[in-house]
Amino acid sequence: MVFSASYIFQQIFNGIVLGSIYALLALGMAVIYGILGLINFAHGALITVGAFCFYFLFSVYHWSFILVIILSVALGGLMGFVLEAIGYRKLRGGPGVSLLITSLGIYIFIENAVKLLVSPQPYAFSMPPFLDKIISTFITFRLIDLFIIATTITIMICFGIFVKRNKVGIAMRGISESVETARMVGINVNQVIIWSFIVASAIAALTGFMWGSKYGQISYDMGFMPGVIAFVSIVIGGIGSISGAVLGGFLIGLIQTFSIGFLPPGWTMYRDAIVFALLIIVLLIKPTGIMGRKESI
Amino acid sequence: MKTILLKTESIEVCYGIIPAVRDLSLEVREGQIVALIGANGAGKSTTLKALAGILHPRQGKIFYKEKEITKLSADRRVPLGITLVPEGRQLFSTLTTKENLRLGAYCYTETEFKEGLGWIYSIFPILKERENQIAGTLSGGEQQMLAFGRAIISKPELLLLDEPSLGLAPLIIKEVYEIIKKIKSTGINIILVEQNIKMAMQVTDYMYVMEAGEMTIQGEPLKVMKDEDIRKAYLG
Amino acid sequence: MKMICSNGRLTIFRIWMPFIIGLGVLFLILGVCNITLDNYTLHIITVIGIYIIAATSLNLTNGYTGLFSLGHAGFMAIGAYSSVLLTYKVSLRGAYNLPLLPVILGGPDFQWPFLPALITGGILAAVAAIIVGLPVLRLRGHYLAVASLGFMIIVTTLAKGMRFLTRGASGIQVISHYTNIWNVYTWVAITIFVIWRILQSAPGRAMLAIRESEVSAQSQGINLMKYKLYSFVVGAFFAGIAGGLYAHFARSIRPYEFSFFMTFFIVMMPIIGGSRNIFGPALGAILLITIRYILKPVEEGLEIYGLVELIYATLLIAIMLWRSGGILSRKSDSS
Repeated sequence: MVFSASYIFQQIFNGIVLGSIYALLALGMAVIYGILGLINFAHGALITVGAFCFYFLFSVYHWSFILVIILSVALGGLMGFVLEAIGYRKLRGGPGVSLLITSLGIYIFIENAVKLLVSPQPYAFSMPPFLDKIISTFITFRLIDLFIIATTITIMICFGIFVKRNKVGIAMRGISESVETARMVGINVNQVIIWSFIVASAIAALTGFMWGSKYGQISYDMGFMPGVIAFVSIVIGGIGSISGAVLGGFLIGLIQTFSIGFLPPGWTMYRDAIVFALLIIVLLIKPTGIMGRKESI
Repeated sequence: MKTILLKTESIEVCYGIIPAVRDLSLEVREGQIVALIGANGAGKSTTLKALAGILHPRQGKIFYKEKEITKLSADRRVPLGITLVPEGRQLFSTLTTKENLRLGAYCYTETEFKEGLGWIYSIFPILKERENQIAGTLSGGEQQMLAFGRAIISKPELLLLDEPSLGLAPLIIKEVYEIIKKIKSTGINIILVEQNIKMAMQVTDYMYVMEAGEMTIQGEPLKVMKDEDIRKAYLG
Repeated sequence: MKMICSNGRLTIFRIWMPFIIGLGVLFLILGVCNITLDNYTLHIITVIGIYIIAATSLNLTNGYTGLFSLGHAGFMAIGAYSSVLLTYKVSLRGAYNLPLLPVILGGPDFQWPFLPALITGGILAAVAAIIVGLPVLRLRGHYLAVASLGFMIIVTTLAKGMRFLTRGASGIQVISHYTNIWNVYTWVAITIFVIWRILQSAPGRAMLAIRESEVSAQSQGINLMKYKLYSFVVGAFFAGIAGGLYAHFARSIRPYEFSFFMTFFIVMMPIIGGSRNIFGPALGAILLITIRYILKPVEEGLEIYGLVELIYATLLIAIMLWRSGGILSRKSDSS
């Protein structure tokens, strides 16, 4: 089967859009992992929360788009703050598995809280009409796709500047190298951790809006797979490397899109399995990931 | 008599359940460099860590400028003016020289940091050259200077130095001690932990000798060195 | 065999007597239940039994060896599907598009009796555990968790994909109802007994050492991979058994049932019930399943979907925060 050039580019573009969403999630998760050593599975739940918040405020109550985005992101940040204070702070420094289990527990809690309070049925998700415009050139896409890519690039750039220039950003990198040294030097580690959680969770909530827009549908369990894939991105891209995590996100976005776009139709269902097979392969060959740093696995 | 800056009252510090330091009472007055001398395992580093807030004494009290700081954690002591250069330096090896210094001056604003940076570079010009180099790639002597710089950029009142000569070549050790003298001249008080008595004697005003977790002798260096046992143990 | 047949008389008293007495008491209780209770309750008790097997075997790997595996449902799926494919009624195979057995396995006119098929399912799950375990068990903590989760997803995806063998996403129905309260609880007793004996023996002590500190264990000369694999494989074997029992009880299986949620459901049982006690997982199983059967009707009646899982999650978080060893733990086990 021969694919036309425009089809190939279309798949690459779609892959980058999906990859952007994964990259943003991986970024947030990698930051938290870097400073706490915690894989925050509850991260995925914030996607759901952000999506539903946007849905209710925008589509049901018809508030303005900008306001709704800001509020959804703020809600995500607030939830991140609450989760850290209630769920994780007490377990810091304990066995890593406890944090893992608790974060899974928190994920299930939030997922079912949404299921209970909203609905077990999926909802149709609509974005503001101006983002829904279709543009047909060499490839076909909607403005929302450009929005996703642009937002992702902006956030990445801001983040990059932040960790190099801002003292809190530098502190984050210091803490992820050694919490002890950071404390010794006088850094208020708690504060940095809290802010990292807030920002990472806010970004996750934003991706909820993006995911809903891309797939046109939201449901109480929409956050699970993206959350797991965010973790897979971190592992494949390289533990301890933020840029690795982002790279991993884009890579998986492309791989998943290609496996739907280029493999025979019967193989579509293997899209998630392929990602995990890749994960296991990477773990066997180069456990530290593509851009990985030193960390014993 | 100069005022007492820091005082401990019978502190006992443990590693797990083993007491490494017992019944230790010492004083540091303003304008002094005080040294804690002793063999390996005597409890010197443990004492210093308790003063820095990394370890907490199980018994006894620590006073800084008349206020009790016994239970205060390390990051809360830095704003009070107590900083530590730990054994092995503990730099952020994946961060650059400048970034390490930035974290040493964490509570500073950007402008205050610029000033502090200038001051540090005047004392350690080599650090300016290595400004954007990753700390882990610096030489041993440069790392020691960075460790010093990071600890004094916040203009502390009390600097704690844990074995500053450890692992360094003799020429570098001489440089390090020149720097210690320089730091003293800027008005910063120092508590020094050393196994290398010869070098320590050159800069200290007062010495405490520790053995197996307890203090045995204290006094001015010349007086301490006159003691028979000390001569045998340390000066060979 | 060393762990069971050690020094003669002492063994009989300390090991076999309690086991046989326990078994006898168990069967007495079951007999009474059988006569007095209604079918629905017996149904629930049987389900509880199946999950006790799954949870106790999982606890050997997760609780006692400290390997956080999220792949248990995958092993149950292997046990379920393979035992079903062996026992499926010959006459129905054509109608349901299931393959006839090849000659080495008995030929086209043969369907396996239950017990051998069940054990074969367990063995196949154990084999899968060896294959998956060798690469994956080198990993630590969250890596192991996600890799094992990945394994489970791969298994269920294959089950969906290999339609000629498994009927894909529609699953297999009209499975012979071989499971009953008696053989389930016989297996419960066997599972608990075997795992109890393992824990008392040298391999068991090695596993506990590994949980406490891999580095220390290694420096004591313990071959990490050997014992990790040991616990992983034993856990998988009994998971396969549980899967086979489940399939022949529910009489219908679909790939999506062996999901992340089933694994996590089973993972929660030893955590809540007590991961350092041989009966902890059983307590967890009884607790969680009873809650489900009591509250699911409420959930459906009042249309508040998700209530049961919400309660599970709350219980889990509460335990993690305040009593991390689980209900049957001593206070000293909590951090």
